[in-house]
Amino acid sequence: MTAGSTPTRRARPIGRRTPRGRLPLVLLVMATLVVVLLALLGPLAVPHSPTALLGAPFQQPDAEFPLGTDALGRDVVSRVLAGGRTLVLTALAGTAAAGAVGLTAGVLAAMASRRLGDLLVRCVDALAVLPPLLVVLVLAAGFPGSTTVVVAAVALATAPFSTRVLRAAADTVLTSGYVEAARARGDTRRAVLRHDVLPNIAGPALTDAALRLVASLHLTATAGFLGLGRGGGTPDWGRMVSENAPGATLAVLPFLAPVLPLVLLSICVGLLADVVGRGTA
Amino acid sequence: MNLLAFAGRRLAGAALLLVLLSAAVFAATAVLPGDAVSSVAGVDASTEQRAHVRAELGLDRPAAERYASWAAGAVRGDLGRGFVGERPVTDVLATRLPNSLLLAGLTLAVTAPLALSLGLWTGLRAGGTADRLVSTGAQALAAVPEFVVAALLTAVLAVWLGFFPRVSVVPLGGTPLDAPHALVLPILTLSTVGLAVATRLLRVCVADAAAAPYCEAARLNGVRGVRLAVRHILPNAAGPAVQALTLTTGALVGSSVVVENVFDYPGIGRELQLAVAARDVPMVQGIATALVAVMLAVLLLGDLCARLLGRREVNSR
Repeated sequence: MTAGSTPTRRARPIGRRTPRGRLPLVLLVMATLVVVLLALLGPLAVPHSPTALLGAPFQQPDAEFPLGTDALGRDVVSRVLAGGRTLVLTALAGTAAAGAVGLTAGVLAAMASRRLGDLLVRCVDALAVLPPLLVVLVLAAGFPGSTTVVVAAVALATAPFSTRVLRAAADTVLTSGYVEAARARGDTRRAVLRHDVLPNIAGPALTDAALRLVASLHLTATAGFLGLGRGGGTPDWGRMVSENAPGATLAVLPFLAPVLPLVLLSICVGLLADVVGRGTA
Repeated sequence: MNLLAFAGRRLAGAALLLVLLSAAVFAATAVLPGDAVSSVAGVDASTEQRAHVRAELGLDRPAAERYASWAAGAVRGDLGRGFVGERPVTDVLATRLPNSLLLAGLTLAVTAPLALSLGLWTGLRAGGTADRLVSTGAQALAAVPEFVVAALLTAVLAVWLGFFPRVSVVPLGGTPLDAPHALVLPILTLSTVGLAVATRLLRVCVADAAAAPYCEAARLNGVRGVRLAVRHILPNAAGPAVQALTLTTGALVGSSVVVENVFDYPGIGRELQLAVAARDVPMVQGIATALVAVMLAVLLLGDLCARLLGRREVNSR
């Protein structure tokens, strides 16, 4: 058996579900793309400086400031446009890091001896007891004001689940007949890993990454709201909500404006993860 | 009865885990570089002042020794004093933790029956339109961060309609029960989040039980509706359902930290965030360890209940 003839379990293409399911999916993907593009390209399109104090606090909307000004008199439109990039990039970095850790630990646990693998999974389970937000808060207390720490904390908090899922997936592959055949033929561990294990756990890994992205976005936004990560006047959707909450009764727009892209983004990503999960299940 | 042995083994495991995790929390806050000296002494303190503060806080001793003395104190019920305001950590825990537990308990009292009904309703119609709608809704809602839900509820119920206060002001020296209307928005937010998590988990338990052969047999015998749900599904879905509610309660520990901060609710999560912002290391260690202990206790309780209900299999992720 060569790598080419390995029976790779392929998922049904997501778009080819029922005809009824296709339109909402297209809308979902488009909505996600719009919010992500808004977040990534927004900082290039700001009408005013997002950090400069331009007017009185909580000024009502007018021609110059279409959404009014925030608690310190900064332009809300500019801050909303500029406040999503860090969030999206941090969440993506967190997902990538968690995926890498989960994949490595999961595959290692599956390839190692049973006892060693069980021990590794036990340790990972112990980490999973910690509420993810607690991990983020405790690490942020150790290194204040660093975005890298938020990424690391998000990865640490979400990786335990990946490890478990991917170990189970790799275990299924490793106990299958064709891996036994490959081993009997004298394939090295590395060859088995490369030609049999990795291609076959790609599907579960993708599903898992989608779920991790949801969690990662959730945590990153919350970290922003709690004022962790990069400090100062840096615009951030999560932090804008907490900055403008005390004045919500005076001006509700500065408080709601960052909430809407956050809601849209998290719902879209959550539903997409669901679709990906069902597609590969 | 081997239930006692089971409980004992689980308790020992949880205690060991608590020690390990408290060490991890200690390491993350105390051993890592930027220690608390600059936050106490001020940024422009001279080298001598910093050395003085360092010795005063006991930070010049090796980390393992500090952990040992901290853990020895913790066993005797002394978690040290916070750097800010010199408050004993145990006093803060004693005054704030009950408030948080009250919030969590009331939330659970709202969430559990609702989630159970929704779970039964959708699980018995697995694959139908109602199931798809509710499941998709729960999935979407579960992805939304707690503070965003809180912000939306605040905007509608507190700002536009003016039903409830925007922040939970509790009279000085009183408990949140003295101002019940202040509890509404936090509970509503937490319940929304908890409902989204719990419904999906419970739906799976019910759908699993409903797909079992004995359930098919009951249905063929003409048992339907509420009777089918109560007599045949619930007893068999109860074990996994308790586990699902346990997981939801665990998730609420994290969520309540956020929600308490949104509404300035005087709970342990608010204190934790303030301590993190002030880099109050002993306070962070104490509160984080207490939260881990609560989390482990919830998991332990859930395990015992599930065991009592006769099913040890956990079909949660």
